[in-house]
Amino acid sequence: MKIKSFYNVVLGMAVEVFYAIAIMLAAFLVCVAAYFLKL
Amino acid sequence: MILRPQLQDLKNIGYYSGKILIGIGLTMLVPMVVGLLFAEINPALDFLIGAEIALIVGLILTKLCFTEKDLNWMQGMVVVSLSWLATMLVAAIPLYMSGHWGSYLDACFETMSGFTTTGLTLVQDLDHLSYAHNLWRHLGPFIGGQGIVVIALCFFVKGVSGAFKMYVGEGRDERVLPNVIDSSRFIWLVSIVYLILSTLVLGLVGIANGMKTANAFFHGACIFMAAFDTAGFAPQSQNILYYHSVLFEVITMVIMILGAMNFNLHYRIWTGDRREIWKNIESRALFIIIIVIFLITLIGLSQVGSYPRALVMFRKGFYQVISAHTTTGYMTIYARQFIDDWGALALAGLICAMAFGGSSCSTAGGIKMLRLGVIIKALQQDLKRIILPERAVVEQKIHHLKELFLEDKQVRAALLITVAYLALYAIGALVGMFYGYPFLDSLFESTSAAANVGLSCGITVPGMPVGLKLTYIVQMWAGRLEFMSVFALIGFFVAAIRGK
Repeated sequence: MKIKSFYNVVLGMAVEVFYAIAIMLAAFLVCVAAYFLKL
Repeated sequence: MILRPQLQDLKNIGYYSGKILIGIGLTMLVPMVVGLLFAEINPALDFLIGAEIALIVGLILTKLCFTEKDLNWMQGMVVVSLSWLATMLVAAIPLYMSGHWGSYLDACFETMSGFTTTGLTLVQDLDHLSYAHNLWRHLGPFIGGQGIVVIALCFFVKGVSGAFKMYVGEGRDERVLPNVIDSSRFIWLVSIVYLILSTLVLGLVGIANGMKTANAFFHGACIFMAAFDTAGFAPQSQNILYYHSVLFEVITMVIMILGAMNFNLHYRIWTGDRREIWKNIESRALFIIIIVIFLITLIGLSQVGSYPRALVMFRKGFYQVISAHTTTGYMTIYARQFIDDWGALALAGLICAMAFGGSSCSTAGGIKMLRLGVIIKALQQDLKRIILPERAVVEQKIHHLKELFLEDKQVRAALLITVAYLALYAIGALVGMFYGYPFLDSLFESTSAAANVGLSCGITVPGMPVGLKLTYIVQMWAGRLEFMSVFALIGFFVAAIRGK
């Protein structure tokens, strides 16, 4: 295996968690928009 | 002319299936030790008996069928499909002996549901199940999600060529690393790292919510295994609703999304190529489709007015959408609420989410984002061909780990598997309707089983018809293996009967 840098692994995990949180935030914004637009 | 299988075929299949059974037998020692640690003597004995049976059968097979020859494609596929069935039969023994499952078939249903990372359950009185049995329920998805064969590849299989055939047979058509055994080890590395971190975080949240320390970490480990492996089992009968914690729900949503990501993508990100997550066709498709389906579900929920407050609607609606889309099956509502409170549009949104599923080469089930991305790109290409002048050369690119030109054979492969999944969803729905369940309920439960999701609208209960239990077992098995090794097994039996 070629994983040599601990820094890369930690930052990689942070990016993955950020991606998951970005999905949640986008969904929350959609929910707020839908609420105000009374969809 | 179909050729009848030879003795060497049977020896190869028996030898490698035996090795996988030995692996399953050894993993049963983990809940046995946990049972002893929690002073649960009878449950520990259940696992000792189960492990002995698996080890004896595995050892007999490896001795009787000993061979040094490598597997060919047919044998590799048959080994995979048979191993999953054999695993179901032996892994169900300790569960059945616990007395919490009404019949051996129910215990088999539970193990197939666990190992295929589905999460539909027929357990009775879950809240009083022993720690050992509860751990085994959650260890099943952790083993099956990464792949039963993937475990065997890590520890027991030396020949790389034969290993690759089993690896592909288990529904993984991509290698993370050039060597398939290194790929298997990387898959386990990611899972173990996230297991340790998430158990710690979930355990601490549990303690903060008033749970006892040992119980909090036990729940944390179980919940992680079922969330990352997109299974949906929980140690309590109320599923995630039991915890009544927003933080718990947010953390499990993050874990579910991580579990639905391609292991190739994990590898690229962990080795420094962090931008890949924003460029990859799968992660983009997952992001966009989740949002679109959530919007549909939201409109459906607001039409029926089950959740008058926007924040509650977001909390309940989005959790079930993420759970369905990542094919996990965790619920923060009761099963009957899908039918009674959600309305047809919101339910249709959830069914679409379950049917589409997560990423390829992940622990998620369903049609998969890569196939959907390829089909959408192919549609775009055809539209361009219609719009642009006839002489124009239309080439469509996709970005999946690298820039690729879309080829007809990729589109054909994606469409074939998509059609097979749609047929599987429809067959299960027809069987459900045959037993008298309404159309939408039957389609919901069938899609949940075939896409290895685990959300239930109330059909999956211990008293459901035996024919429906068997149908769902076959759906979970075929859906997890993505059809090819199941077709190979059918072909093998046809060749044995009709071959020359």
